[in-house]
Amino acid sequence: MKTKLLMGGIAALAFMQSLNAAQAQSGEVTIASYDGIFQTEYMDTVIAAFEEAYPDITVNYYPMANSAATLGTLRAQRSAPQVDVVIFDVSVAKAATDEGLLAELDRDAVTNLNDLYDTAFTEGVNAAAVTFDNLVLLYNTGAISEAPTSWEALWDPAREGRVIIPAAPDIQGVALTIIANQLAGGESYLDGLDAGVEKMAELAPLVQTWEPTPDPYQPIMNAQADIGIGWNARGQIFSDQSNGSMGVVIPSEGSVYQINVIGTVEGSANEEAAKTFMNFALSPEAQALFTERMFYAPTNEKSEPSTEALDRTAATPERMETMIDINWLEVAQFREALTERWRREIIPRSR
Amino acid sequence: MNAAQAEPARSPFRLNGRQLVPILILPILLVNAISFLWPTFSLLRMSLNEPVAGGAIRETLTLQTYIDVMTDGFYLELVWNSIYLCSIITIVTLILSYPIALFIHRADPKWRSILTLMVISPLLVSAVVRTYGWVIILGDQGLINAFLMSTGLVERPARLIFNNFGVVVGLIEILMPYMILSLMAGFGRLDPRLEEAAQSLGAKRFTTLRRVTIPLTAPGIALGCLLVFVLSISSFVTPKLLGGGRVFLLATEIYDQSIVLLNWPLAASLSMLVLVIFGAALVVYSRIVKALD
Repeated sequence: MKTKLLMGGIAALAFMQSLNAAQAQSGEVTIASYDGIFQTEYMDTVIAAFEEAYPDITVNYYPMANSAATLGTLRAQRSAPQVDVVIFDVSVAKAATDEGLLAELDRDAVTNLNDLYDTAFTEGVNAAAVTFDNLVLLYNTGAISEAPTSWEALWDPAREGRVIIPAAPDIQGVALTIIANQLAGGESYLDGLDAGVEKMAELAPLVQTWEPTPDPYQPIMNAQADIGIGWNARGQIFSDQSNGSMGVVIPSEGSVYQINVIGTVEGSANEEAAKTFMNFALSPEAQALFTERMFYAPTNEKSEPSTEALDRTAATPERMETMIDINWLEVAQFREALTERWRREIIPRSR
Repeated sequence: MNAAQAEPARSPFRLNGRQLVPILILPILLVNAISFLWPTFSLLRMSLNEPVAGGAIRETLTLQTYIDVMTDGFYLELVWNSIYLCSIITIVTLILSYPIALFIHRADPKWRSILTLMVISPLLVSAVVRTYGWVIILGDQGLINAFLMSTGLVERPARLIFNNFGVVVGLIEILMPYMILSLMAGFGRLDPRLEEAAQSLGAKRFTTLRRVTIPLTAPGIALGCLLVFVLSISSFVTPKLLGGGRVFLLATEIYDQSIVLLNWPLAASLSMLVLVIFGAALVVYSRIVKALD
């Protein structure tokens, strides 16, 4: 905890210095992104630091239940946008770009775009990655004393009726199908997912619910289920809050990334402040701040979070080797068809 | 004071009763147009757009999503499953609510308001909270399973939620107040002297119930069934929380299509389909009411 605080402090200091050069700006900027724990932590770290650096810019946070709700808001406000900056899932950002709702990336104003990893950019999307997350195994430490190391732990017959999986169309279910496809010896997900679907059908009889509520973390923390899947960042935070009742594992076979992107809204009335915020959110310092707090892997190559924090993300050199490369835009093309297969071939096996 | 004195001077703007009606109706017409007709029209318009894989929408005029829904076995099964499950819910809710409503109707007037209040009081608690209550009661470590296991009736927890059974139980409990209130509204026609007359003429209790009480209360039954059917087919939270992703209903599918898959045209088409089912239920209801009169 002390190291974490220290690292946070150093990052904040480094960042303050870099601001001396920053132009004094004023105005207002409205950011739409996830509600709940993401909102709390983001406001407490990145937005608080931004407000300190740019005291004349007021930041409003517009909490959204999910990325689709953000897209819905952008659609509804097309002629008079009330939101200036959005942070949401990359595949939803593609739909928003296709509909002309996101302004083009401006590398002259948002200079930190030049320091992002190549994987932060997706062709045809007017937004850049602001967080990298990945799928993880979650387990109840009371029910499973030794931390599992493989995704195969989900298929353990001893877990009958104690496994929770958010089903497709949720992207966690889609991502697990792609991982299962690899476990079952299938080739790239682009060559078909028959092996993965079959493997998921074998898992179905063990599943307690395909729709864990309110999320996959609470039932495992409360021992309503033994094992399941979720996202790393939230898993890590909830694991810390659960007093050790929930463990989080990035299995040895690797995992898949989930990408949240940041972009400015087309026709925003606060274009300049929006770009200033976007540049700030992508800065090495802001990226490190958020990694320290919420364990999303940074997207800025120059960002240097503590090793302790990085160890709890998928961004260590060994893990990066094993990650399964997924293009979410390609996945979006077959997500609906895969959902159909889930409903016909997988879920009925759990009845 | 005579009539001539009381009569004020006639204003040229004074309207007679017939002229006044449209003006009095105007506010509700406006509210309906803005809050119901316009959104319904927007929904209809959206259903005629073309979805693009990945979530974008192409503005056009096509019936393709309707054709897809009508020709895809999954959606037909979805419609059938929704109607079937909601019919079961309606019937069981009626069977459970009827004796309660009758009891309250016949209770001493000083108790009647307290009993009615007790029936309505669950409505003060959100459906989400009540549904979570069922998760606690019916879950693996819940009350029912704890009892069944302690008595040795079952070895492993029985699966009571995350399936059709859980959804049916949850919705029945949530919808019972509506059914009871509708039944009580229809009990006004139930004259106790008619039941007494039937019994004095030798009818047994069950015969009296079947041939006097139920026919007299039929309008209330029809109203309650309509209300519960419509509410259950459009209910979303309870099937989402208690269905465990295994129970596919129209309302949950509309959510998935609009919020998760971003296929708004398909979600809009399914919503229009729900509207058609509502219309059909209303037609059946009005026919029944007409036949009863």
